[in-house]
Amino acid sequence: MKATAVGQAELKLFWRNRTALFNSLLLPLLLVPALMAADADGVPLIVGLTGFVLLMAVYYNLVTTFVARREELVLKRLRVGELTDPEILFGASLPSVVVALGQTALFAVVVGVTTGVALPARPWFLVAGVAGGVIVFALLAAASSAFTRTVEMAQVTSLPMLVACAFGAGLFFPLSVLPDGVASVLRLLPLSPVLDLLRAGWSDGPVLRPLIVLTVWIVLGIYAVRRWFRWDPRR
Amino acid sequence: MTAIEVRGLTRRYSGGFEAVRGVSFDVERGEMFALLGTNGAGKTSTVEVVEGLSRPAAGTVSVLGHDPFRERSLVRPRVGVMLQEGGFPPDLTVTEATKMWAGTLTSPRPVDEALSLVDLAHRASVRVKQLSGGERRRLDLALALLGRPEVLFLDEPTTGLDPESRRNTWELIRSLLREGVTVLLTTHYLEEAQALADRLAIMHRGRIVAQGTVSEVVDAYPARISFVPPAGIPLPVVVSEDGSGRVTVRTNNLQQTLHELLAWAHVNSVELSGLDARSASLEEAFLAIAEEAA
Repeated sequence: MKATAVGQAELKLFWRNRTALFNSLLLPLLLVPALMAADADGVPLIVGLTGFVLLMAVYYNLVTTFVARREELVLKRLRVGELTDPEILFGASLPSVVVALGQTALFAVVVGVTTGVALPARPWFLVAGVAGGVIVFALLAAASSAFTRTVEMAQVTSLPMLVACAFGAGLFFPLSVLPDGVASVLRLLPLSPVLDLLRAGWSDGPVLRPLIVLTVWIVLGIYAVRRWFRWDPRR
Repeated sequence: MTAIEVRGLTRRYSGGFEAVRGVSFDVERGEMFALLGTNGAGKTSTVEVVEGLSRPAAGTVSVLGHDPFRERSLVRPRVGVMLQEGGFPPDLTVTEATKMWAGTLTSPRPVDEALSLVDLAHRASVRVKQLSGGERRRLDLALALLGRPEVLFLDEPTTGLDPESRRNTWELIRSLLREGVTVLLTTHYLEEAQALADRLAIMHRGRIVAQGTVSEVVDAYPARISFVPPAGIPLPVVVSEDGSGRVTVRTNNLQQTLHELLAWAHVNSVELSGLDARSASLEEAFLAIAEEAA
């Protein structure tokens, strides 16, 4: 597939970019103590780490990637070639997605073995959660890049989504401890249904509502990208 | 056979500004057609629509028989595009950037061959960010040629090139034309258009104001004779002054007017110092058009 040529180039650039390496490879590891302190149990740790990987390695990393390539006029150049628009975005997302999937698998195995987590009873919900999470945060990253002028500004423009999801989607504490009204609003955040689906891999949590919320976010994401994504730098 | 057909092309930006207003031209197979114009004349806006980057507000565009916007997948494998400003990731090497591009193409040339064509083979392992502006321009040209295009779009291809690289690029473009490649060039170097183009169009404020072969365009404009006028004696011709002390005579019959002027000077024993007589060049035609339209 032609888009993988862009993915291979992006992977080389990823290894040459210290900031991206730190954000996607080291930062989730630094959060292990915080998450362990919050809850020593294995499943919440796996779920929480996966959530962080989606936020940092997929969302934040891709906002900066899309902005950097746009400002370097790389996206503009790719657009006069043979690739279609979705292929360009897919190719540019590949390394971040591959790194995120690798990290998630690694964390799950390490945490699972060290804390003695049972094998998930309903693994397909895990798969749906991770796949849906990757897709939705790649789309949201592309949409956010449209409102980000420079790579440095990505730290600011990605903050609302990062803070809302990190504190509002139940990464540190289950939403069930909050009042019902607040909890049901927070369940509409894009990361919440992903975490619900991951937990549902091990326990009999609700799945229909998270699947619907996740689907709505993917549809919104596609709409936002088609409507606002910029291929040229702002002038 | 026509490679590019543009009819009544209009392009409007979101603010309502009409950058291109009803432009029409044809480019035949194997021909080089040059679009000239002042800055902001609408050249790049026109070419972007022909490349299929955006949809025209009105009019039609056909490249190799297809709509370049709606039938992008049919057109793109057969064309090569060198944007006015194209980018490459600065941390890739020249070879890596070229390989990436090759990976996106249906039938690319070998990477080494493409780099040799533009004299960049010796810079293959250098990072893009370390290239000079001219070298980056040549890398852009290499990528445009990588897919063995039948139609090549070149937007200001020699900007930033030193004279030797510019000559080499011209030679390369000539050899592509001999192979039958069709080229749509935009440039603000008039001598580039004069040296390479079979036909050209001059754009001003979104419209084509002159079109044809170089001599067709130039012949429509008067020749110029200029000199420092002798003092205290009325001239036999109508002149215009530009404040530099020199006067200029514009004429459609250079030989006749020059003869009259010299005969008059001889009879009156006056000197026409700094005498300069020249047929209209593309540059003069261009300047005259820009002045007329201003």
